[in-house]
Amino acid sequence: MDKKKVAFPLFSHYNIFIKYFVEKALDAEYIMQPQMTRRTIDIGSRYSPDYVCTPFKITLGSMIEALEAGADTIIMSPGPCRLGYYGELQEMILKELGYEFDFVNFSEYYTGYIKDMIKAMRRINPKASVPKITKTLAESAKIIMRLDEIEADYYKNCGFEINHGEYKKNWTKFLLAVETAENMRDVETAYKNAKKKFAAISISKPKNPIKVGIVGEYYTAVDSFANLDLAQKIADMGVEVHRWMNVTNRNLRYRGKNLRVDIKDYCKYEMGPTSTANIWSARYYASHGFDGIIHAKSAGCTPEIDIMPTLQNISADYKIPILYLTYDSQTSDTGLDTRLEAFYDMISAPSMHAKIHTRKISSK
Amino acid sequence: MEIKNNKNIHSIYAENQLTIGLPNAMLYKRYETLWENFFMALGANIIVSEPTNKEIIHSGTEAAIDETCLSAKIYLGHVHSLIRKCDYILVPRISNWALNRHMCSRFKSQYDLVCNIFRGSGQKFISYDLDEARNLTEEKAFLNMGLELGFPKKLIKEAYKKAKKQETADWKYRLKSQEQLYKSEGLKVIIAAHSYVIEDEYFGKPVTDYLKELDVIPLRADITDRKEALKQSLKISKTLVWEFNREILGSLHMHREHVDGIILISAFPCGPDSMVNDIIARKFSELPVLNLVLDSQSGTAGMETRLESFVDILKFKKGIL
Repeated sequence: MDKKKVAFPLFSHYNIFIKYFVEKALDAEYIMQPQMTRRTIDIGSRYSPDYVCTPFKITLGSMIEALEAGADTIIMSPGPCRLGYYGELQEMILKELGYEFDFVNFSEYYTGYIKDMIKAMRRINPKASVPKITKTLAESAKIIMRLDEIEADYYKNCGFEINHGEYKKNWTKFLLAVETAENMRDVETAYKNAKKKFAAISISKPKNPIKVGIVGEYYTAVDSFANLDLAQKIADMGVEVHRWMNVTNRNLRYRGKNLRVDIKDYCKYEMGPTSTANIWSARYYASHGFDGIIHAKSAGCTPEIDIMPTLQNISADYKIPILYLTYDSQTSDTGLDTRLEAFYDMISAPSMHAKIHTRKISSK
Repeated sequence: MEIKNNKNIHSIYAENQLTIGLPNAMLYKRYETLWENFFMALGANIIVSEPTNKEIIHSGTEAAIDETCLSAKIYLGHVHSLIRKCDYILVPRISNWALNRHMCSRFKSQYDLVCNIFRGSGQKFISYDLDEARNLTEEKAFLNMGLELGFPKKLIKEAYKKAKKQETADWKYRLKSQEQLYKSEGLKVIIAAHSYVIEDEYFGKPVTDYLKELDVIPLRADITDRKEALKQSLKISKTLVWEFNREILGSLHMHREHVDGIILISAFPCGPDSMVNDIIARKFSELPVLNLVLDSQSGTAGMETRLESFVDILKFKKGIL
């Protein structure tokens, strides 16, 4: 039997672990579609419902580009918000357009039982073995943690490098090394190399650098295409950029109830899929000497709209500026640049930046 | 403002009798009977905000984040109108009844959202947490809420039972009269909208009222045998999890042969509707579908023109134009 050619819509650097999983555990071929461009959004928006959230449009565009690149099977993830319903509608839209492919929608198998998830995987390879799947899942988790760790390191320091481009070069090299890894040993070697290389880059970082924390809707806050390279843009101004939100923190190690202990004066319940995480990180940034917070979300993201009043309260209580960014399929680079520059000018002004240390002590 | 003073006051609570405020929007439209009877049986007074009017929309829009859906803006307006007029305002947190029976995330955040928006007002809010995935059934949720308000366990349990009984009886009656309508003669249009949209005085009601003026019988997809509708919805859409949308979708499927057209009414920008409306348009292609998306700017003239031309299409199709 021919191997299936599997693809998943692009999401930050996470397609790397999906590729690893599909190839190792399911013994199928993985198709990596080209990097997203303006066209991805345009073609996705053209066939999407009007006021659906933007990630729907981007992932639809990315699915089309995967089909064009030769995929015959698309997988789609379940999700706790509208994301969980993306797959069904996207499959319908794509098939109406005339694309021929197999759509494995994990939402259909999301019953709370592992055995149903295995069923979904066996649609890609009927002979996939459970021990192999479990083993590869554990390895994939490791890959995710390695990628996320290096990425976090990258955005904290890349804005302070002396020779422009060194961080980027090593980060790209690392991604490529992990993407082409044959086994976990290759991944570990790449990880250690990247650590070593990052440590060797000469940087000039002030003792109290300007620090910004990014919070927001999962896809938009994390994916650098969806947010127009937000983290890079702000880092390039000479800022240490933090972002708690990633798969390691939100999925692999997530304990919502425990995060809510520290924010119980702001919220009592789990308000939405990423609400607890975002309120917690915003509060963390506010109380740990950060200069500003950026909240990034796609237009119409219900859970993120609903935490904005809480963020406004945190902003008032800790006197920390928060920049609210809403991305839709029209958002332009220039508009974003202008807003980020203005935000940077505000938080970097001596009267603002110098106050941080007093704020740290006086805050509750 | 409608104040329902409780005459059956239990003597022990008489001196510090509670007044509970119920915002007349969103879930109130579904739980009116349950809530009112529950609090009445506990010996509390009830105050219900006025039907939606311009002022409520205005204050709700002021309080809300711009991108919030119109229904939530209206809800905040109702909450605002009750502030400092009662001891507690009820803002439930309803999450799910099962893995594939969820609420839109706005209902999961509603309590915390309201508390954050109105935190400087000095108003107290009371909530109940319905989350069956975490074993919090409605009964347990009501018990927890009652205990938080300081009522004895036995009284709460009785009150819930009584209120639930009344709710079931009320629902049966409404269901029966709705089913009768399907049998009546004339042009029949089924309206697919959340109960809180279609029953809203300000923007849902005018649609049904105008349809009646046009001699059309407006039927409501949301008033249906809910259990059966949930089952039927799976035939149309396998991965839909939003309870209210599933009820509406299943109900449309159950009645598709008895109606002449479908009108979808959504509050802009309703998250679930942004996708489900597309599914409906695809899966019910044999019926004419009108998609009305309402926001607070809507004057009635535009809506009336669209309804008229839609009804003309239906009449033409039926050969009575």
